[in-house]
Amino acid sequence: MTQVRFVGQRFAAMVIIVLALAAAVFALQKMSPLDPVHARLGGQASQGAIAAERHALGLDRPIVTQFGHYLAGLVHGDLGDSYRTRRPVTTDLLAYVPATAELAATGLIIALVLAIAFAFASTLRVRGAGLFRLGLMLGASVPTFLLGVFGILLFYQHFGWLPASGRTSIGNAPTGPTHLLTLDGLLHGRPDVTWDALKHLLMPATAIALGPAVAIGRVLRSSLEGELSSDYVRTARAKGRSERQILLGHVVRNAVGAAVSMTGLQVGLMFAGVLVVEQVFGWPGLGLYIAESIPVADFPAIAGVTLLLGSAYVVINAAVDVIQAAADPRIRV
Amino acid sequence: MAVAEPFVVPRPAWRRPLSLDLRAPRTWSIIGASLFAVMTLIALAAPLLSPHDPLVPVGIPLAAPGHGGFLLGSDSIGRDVLSRCLYGMRASWFAALVVIAGGFLIGGLVGLVAGSSGGWIDNLLMRITDGFLALPAPVLAIAVVASLGPSFTHTLIAVSVVWWPFYARIVRGEISKLAARPHVEAARLAGAGRVRIALRHLLPGALPAAVVTASLDVGNLVLALAGLSFLGLGQSAPAPELGADSARNLSLLLQQWWVPVVPGIAVAVLAVIANVAGDSVRNLIDPE
Repeated sequence: MTQVRFVGQRFAAMVIIVLALAAAVFALQKMSPLDPVHARLGGQASQGAIAAERHALGLDRPIVTQFGHYLAGLVHGDLGDSYRTRRPVTTDLLAYVPATAELAATGLIIALVLAIAFAFASTLRVRGAGLFRLGLMLGASVPTFLLGVFGILLFYQHFGWLPASGRTSIGNAPTGPTHLLTLDGLLHGRPDVTWDALKHLLMPATAIALGPAVAIGRVLRSSLEGELSSDYVRTARAKGRSERQILLGHVVRNAVGAAVSMTGLQVGLMFAGVLVVEQVFGWPGLGLYIAESIPVADFPAIAGVTLLLGSAYVVINAAVDVIQAAADPRIRV
Repeated sequence: MAVAEPFVVPRPAWRRPLSLDLRAPRTWSIIGASLFAVMTLIALAAPLLSPHDPLVPVGIPLAAPGHGGFLLGSDSIGRDVLSRCLYGMRASWFAALVVIAGGFLIGGLVGLVAGSSGGWIDNLLMRITDGFLALPAPVLAIAVVASLGPSFTHTLIAVSVVWWPFYARIVRGEISKLAARPHVEAARLAGAGRVRIALRHLLPGALPAAVVTASLDVGNLVLALAGLSFLGLGQSAPAPELGADSARNLSLLLQQWWVPVVPGIAVAVLAVIANVAGDSVRNLIDPE
């Protein structure tokens, strides 16, 4: 019963935060010195045309009514029209999201693998753990774009192992049903497409993964070490269990909670990294879209990307909390 | 007869007399922490250290590092990359410090008011803080700068707006822990007013945690601001800015690598210096 109540509360909090995000984006749009009518019609429009357009956009109504319309639009998936592409922002976003989703998901997997390796290597004092740790720490102090740039110089220009830009180098790559090239390649029985997509993903995904990997790995290591000095571990040692059995059989399940929460929080950093690294690798995702929108002050497009990434972050973190509460009944917010 | 030993409060490490014992970890922490001052001096002295004007072409374009009188090469119109980086580091460093100071002041004030008043004020302020913390700060900052229009001041405002809640949380946590301590009750019984209790009896106890957080945060901010600048949300074109200088010259990467790479390395150097100094400050104030 308390579980159900917890999920309900968490869900309500999630909805409130997404509403607050929408209100913030709406307020920013109102504060912006850019006039949407001017942006649509250009500087030469007549007074009459401007008034008509203002009325058509609902800009002559009270601000509360405008916000109501805005929210109603959002619920129906209407994010307004882009000033630059003149298409609905939703249509644009749908075209760019799969590339970004694929990159972010791959980055998250790499970050988790590195974080787990880092935490276990230093907890078990594996030989070379110090060096691995130093490498990760240095990587996390380097800006994401520089990691990408170094990657291109080393693995593309010097060794020629990995491609430097885009998602694929195959001309007739399948389009659909998921629009994730790694999955579509498998679904269409084209392992060459999947392999090629993975090669394109490796560098940008690693570049965005290093910072979060260090943050997650640190939390995991400190909770592993905390658990290892607890009473039940002493009991298990006294029973003659090996360190490996203790770690995998007893400690991991108790220690993983904080690291899972940290992973949810690091998704925000990862989104920012994705936007930057897409410039470096010419990755056709949301980062490229927002970078093309910023110089021309295409606010609906920028607001759309913000709302999408912000909501994704809120939903992911709510899901993380619910999963944790299900896995560990001690956890309550 | 047992005599009670007088209880001596151990002095915090940073109050002990200075010694120059190079084997003591504390000496290294002091040296590390002073990197904050050293870097600030370098940033202040950027105009003196730069061999050339960062905005004016002074020689052949695209000279490799060490050629044509350019230590770190020249860019596509013959400006000195080293000078541009020094000025860019100056801007990044002060920007990070300004945002930290802003976050520290706003967040500290919110945390202090919330923690010391309790009740519905505490609840309201902390719900707002939680709302901010539940959103991805870097993504939110992009939207704020984009709506205000790209400029250096707007970037600082935008990042400060999303950066304070973290400090509010930390200060509020420390304050509410302290508020339950006997010395606060004693002060209240002695007739101290709420403001006096907050400023004299609560705030000093919350400062060390906030200072540690702030000093560990400088590196994060340097990286976050460089990312925004890289996306084109910083100063406009001729101004030397590390992220933007790298982004604008990406097309030169495979031929004249130093033009986009050197500004990126400058960001990394700043972040490493800030992280080492931040770690040292933490070791001085809060040695586990």
